[in-house]
Amino acid sequence: MSTARHHVIIGSGVAGNQAAETLRARDPDSRITMVTVSRLPFFNRYDLPRVFRGERDWRRFVIYPAEYYRRNRIALRRATQVVAVDSINQALTLQHKETIHFDTLLVASGARPYLPEELTEYRPLLLGFGAFHEAVRVADALPKKGHVIMLGGDTIGLDLARTLIELRHRVTLLADNHTFWPHEVSEDDRPRYIEALRNMGFDVVEAKERGCLASISQGAPGLPARRLVFKDGSELHGDLVMPFFGNVPILDFMIGSGVDIERGLLVRPNLRTTNENIYAAGDNCQIWTDSVRHYCFYHGWKNVRAMGELAARNITGADEAWAPIHDESLRLTADGKILSPFWEYQ
Amino acid sequence: MGEIRPVYLEDKLKEVEDSGRLDYRSKALPTWCPGCGYFSIVEAVATALCELGIPNEDAVMVSGIGCSSRFPFFINSYGIHTLHGRALPSALGVKTANPALTVVAVGGDGDGFAIGGGHVPHAARRNLDITYLLFDNGIYGLTKGQTSPTSAVGFKTPTSPYANPDRPLNPLLMLLSHGASWVGQSYAGDPEHLRSMIRQAMEHRGFSYLHILSPCVTFDKTHRTYVNLGMQVHALPATHDPTDKLAAMGEAMKNEQAPAVGLYYREQRPTLDDALDALVEKAGGEKRGLRGGRGRKLR
Amino acid sequence: MSTDVQIAIVGSAGDGTIAAGDILRRAMAEIGYRVISFDLYPAEIRGFGKCIARLRVTDEQAYSLKQQSDILVSLDDSHAIPHVGEAREWGAVIYETHSVNPLPEGAHLSGHIDPGQVPYNVPIRELAEKSTGSARSRNIVIVGYIIGLMRLPVEPVLRALVGKFKGKGDIAQKNEAALRAGYEEGLRWFRLDDIEFGPPPAQEKGAHVEMISGNAAIVRGALDAGIDNFFGYPITPATSIMERLASEMPRHGARLVQTEDEIAAISATLGAGYAGARAATATSGPGLSLMAEMLGFGVIAEVPSVVFVSQRGGPSTGMPTKHEQSDLNMAVFGGHGDAPRIVIAPTSVEGCYRCAGRAFEMAEAYQTPVIVLLDLYLSNRYETVPFPDRPPFDADTNRYADTRGGAAGFQRYALTVDGVSPRSIPGQAGGMHVATGLEHNELGRPNDQPDMHLAQSRKRHEKLKAALSHPGFEPAKRFGDTGQVEVGLVAWGSSFGECLEAMYLAQEEGIRCAAVKVVMVSPFPVDFVATFLADCKEVLVPEVNYQGQFAGILQMQVPRAVTRMTRIPCAPLRVEEILDEIRRLAGRIVEPQAA
Repeated sequence: MSTARHHVIIGSGVAGNQAAETLRARDPDSRITMVTVSRLPFFNRYDLPRVFRGERDWRRFVIYPAEYYRRNRIALRRATQVVAVDSINQALTLQHKETIHFDTLLVASGARPYLPEELTEYRPLLLGFGAFHEAVRVADALPKKGHVIMLGGDTIGLDLARTLIELRHRVTLLADNHTFWPHEVSEDDRPRYIEALRNMGFDVVEAKERGCLASISQGAPGLPARRLVFKDGSELHGDLVMPFFGNVPILDFMIGSGVDIERGLLVRPNLRTTNENIYAAGDNCQIWTDSVRHYCFYHGWKNVRAMGELAARNITGADEAWAPIHDESLRLTADGKILSPFWEYQ
Repeated sequence: MGEIRPVYLEDKLKEVEDSGRLDYRSKALPTWCPGCGYFSIVEAVATALCELGIPNEDAVMVSGIGCSSRFPFFINSYGIHTLHGRALPSALGVKTANPALTVVAVGGDGDGFAIGGGHVPHAARRNLDITYLLFDNGIYGLTKGQTSPTSAVGFKTPTSPYANPDRPLNPLLMLLSHGASWVGQSYAGDPEHLRSMIRQAMEHRGFSYLHILSPCVTFDKTHRTYVNLGMQVHALPATHDPTDKLAAMGEAMKNEQAPAVGLYYREQRPTLDDALDALVEKAGGEKRGLRGGRGRKLR
Repeated sequence: MSTDVQIAIVGSAGDGTIAAGDILRRAMAEIGYRVISFDLYPAEIRGFGKCIARLRVTDEQAYSLKQQSDILVSLDDSHAIPHVGEAREWGAVIYETHSVNPLPEGAHLSGHIDPGQVPYNVPIRELAEKSTGSARSRNIVIVGYIIGLMRLPVEPVLRALVGKFKGKGDIAQKNEAALRAGYEEGLRWFRLDDIEFGPPPAQEKGAHVEMISGNAAIVRGALDAGIDNFFGYPITPATSIMERLASEMPRHGARLVQTEDEIAAISATLGAGYAGARAATATSGPGLSLMAEMLGFGVIAEVPSVVFVSQRGGPSTGMPTKHEQSDLNMAVFGGHGDAPRIVIAPTSVEGCYRCAGRAFEMAEAYQTPVIVLLDLYLSNRYETVPFPDRPPFDADTNRYADTRGGAAGFQRYALTVDGVSPRSIPGQAGGMHVATGLEHNELGRPNDQPDMHLAQSRKRHEKLKAALSHPGFEPAKRFGDTGQVEVGLVAWGSSFGECLEAMYLAQEEGIRCAAVKVVMVSPFPVDFVATFLADCKEVLVPEVNYQGQFAGILQMQVPRAVTRMTRIPCAPLRVEEILDEIRRLAGRIVEPQAA
């Protein structure tokens, strides 16, 4: 089919870009606009560890070059934040008070790193790692053979740590219930996985071993830059502290939009929200899964990409249901290391 | 005129030679028609320069185009014979460049008030320190007799064969209203008066306008002739106060019936040179002397 | 070149767009870079018309702007949106991130940025209000932001700011606060563009570099050559020459008078020249037409004078605020009779300075009117110019006559070997003569006989040839490949800058290419140009007028087939267009040309 509709996609990650590609193929004359807060075009965040190997030209991380967007007539609006969505009038409002009308809307806004309540006061002392400039900042702040203290240890953090360890940095992981997120590791399996981490070169400190973290502060002059003090009085020093407590969906702009939200946007198996013109894809939505009679999150770039494609297909007339066909489990390799299917993007 | 006394040619020649005024005449013979009023103007200017003791090299005659404008060739001084109507702005340039020079602009009624009319008010209002001698013969003589801005109504010429319908200008009234600081009128048929007026005009510090009535013997046989002018020309009333501009304007208007000769108006006020010098002082600069580029200093 | 960054700021007249560009270019000059800058003004005096300030910052002086800018700044999205394509790929697009009022779709710049450009969405208004309490200082904030973002030193910028707002007290303080606020913000931002500022070039010895406009350079040249008198009448785009001289000349003890019209101006200039002064006037096309008759007088009476003519769109009243080079024929030939004069046309702002000074030398040396022909683009554009610490001009180039003890009349127009007669100046005893517009003999007396007319005509024409070898002046100059070339460009005036740039680009593409600038158009450097044309397989003559006026003069002097590139875009030539023509002539384009 080919219409003159205006398809708007919020987010330019894996889901959003796959959806755009599929929409353009299936609805050639339509107008497609992609809105993202990022200043970069679609880039490979999974490759960010390369920054630590010296790659600083962001253009080498770009997955789709500028020409792709021009050729496919996808209007890519970067550095643009959506602040409100009006599902009845089919309009969204941008932070700079511009109103955009849409015929269909795909919310593929993804997720942002989560920081537990008790650590928010230490935010200035922590270094994030999601965006390109953050990766550069970390790489610049890390001295040779530096010591990184990782809090939580989700798969993004673990992936980074692999590169750091390979580059002869020291990584100390303060493991807790966020470790291995989004993979779920049972209590029984946990000791083996933790051992595997040690095998890979991590120093692992289990939360219950040292007790909870009491404070994080700037190290004294001459000492490493960060000083962690635990409730039991013991201390840990390092050059950087990086939180990796998993991600939470970015959906503040959807509040008051008229669609149902729980922790994520609630969507049917066809990825449609409670509004017939609004769909969602990626790690910001929970899909109704009949088998467990429950709304579930699905993670990993393979699933996220499939969601993007599915949503686009359904937006353009299909009526297909989501079926997760990609394995999400964390594996232990033969040589006692951990391997996540979410690493190594293709 | 009083009683006739015999004058011997040799005595007269000696008197002329001794006066020194011949030094101010160039070797070129004037190209004017015999009887033209301009001959006496040349005499009068040469005499004035001589009597005032102005060195030949310090005088510059500036003219436009016309019979009158041939004038510079007949005076032994520096001179510029420029374009029709452009004597006054050229004179502005000469005087601004070297205020020590005595600059006399000359021109006819067409040169001054037709094509050159736009420059007259500005030379007068700026009080440019020059003398402007206007040779008014009410006709364009050099091009053989067309009407001019001061030709009388009814005058018949090749370009007005059925009679001139245009009302003539009143130059004296105009110059008074433009702010000229010295305005006078004289007559080429009265050489004594002419000489005296020219000298006064040149002595005056500021813009001096001397209107000189002069017959064109070749092309005007009906209006402005020696006979007619001889009868019409009279002196300004002895009671006229030359510092009273309104009175001067009144007298100027009466000219339309019969021309009166004499000093119409005179005042002293700062000249353009004064203003330019004041600017230099205000800006903190140093006044320059000028003798060409000699002694010019670059920064 | 290690530094070649062009910045374009687009806004409305009320946004302080031009002021921002001015501060930036002064700042870049202060830091030590070379700058060329040309602004686009709206037609109205006040109001909300579009302005674009453009500056190109380099380590080696450039003489044209680039087609694309490296940084594009929007101070007003409604004006900037049509220009967003001007920013190159990986270049920066800087704009206001917030909005005061709700906007319909497409009204914000963010919706028009190409995926290859790098967006910098800055809270400019907020920074302005926080640092100075008013949004009026947005333009200063953005200057600071650019400096911070590009990691350039801020002290020279503060100096430039102080210089511009000298004596305005409280405004200067506010501006500093705005600048610093923008600067701190710029420092914080992560760079995603690939713009590079290399180190500024080393200081020149014996010269001090200043950023100056074409008209201001004319004024500087005139003052440095010791101008005595100026008479002028206001006309766009030459007016600022008179205005600047009006405030400068009294300080040097020189005299300026604003006349009632252009005819009075040129008449007074000639009168002053006759009296021995270095005198000049300045005008544009319409004024030059009015001056034609007087210029002829200057030629026949052999009176030194200088006329600065800044060309604009013609004919007649034409387009007073638009660029064009269509007064060449008027300058070279304007006026009845065989009336040759010297016409020199600078090709850069530095050239304006040098031509202005040399013009006074030539006027005196060859006793003739000299027309210095520039144009709106040169008049209003800024370049960094290395001014020599001591003016290179000769204070007096007159040939004087010794008139002491002169008897039978001074021969002001004596027939000499080189055609230049020794002159006398009013005030000089024994040198009396009349300068007349009539044909005359050696004494200056009117003479209409054929042999004298021939002798004097020949004199007036032949004497000018010496101007081609006037000391310190190059009538023409060649750039680029030496020897045989595939394509040779011959250009004049401001068009040469774009031609030079196109030539460099053509050379980079492997085309053997050279370019000649002809600065002295009258007398024409026949030998030099003929030698050059013999080296060229194809000749391209680009200029901004419809008739190909320069090409016509060129072909008249050196008969040779050339390719005329005449364009009247109401703006300077485009480098890409010239380059395309070069490629075509060099046979590098195989596809048929679009009609």
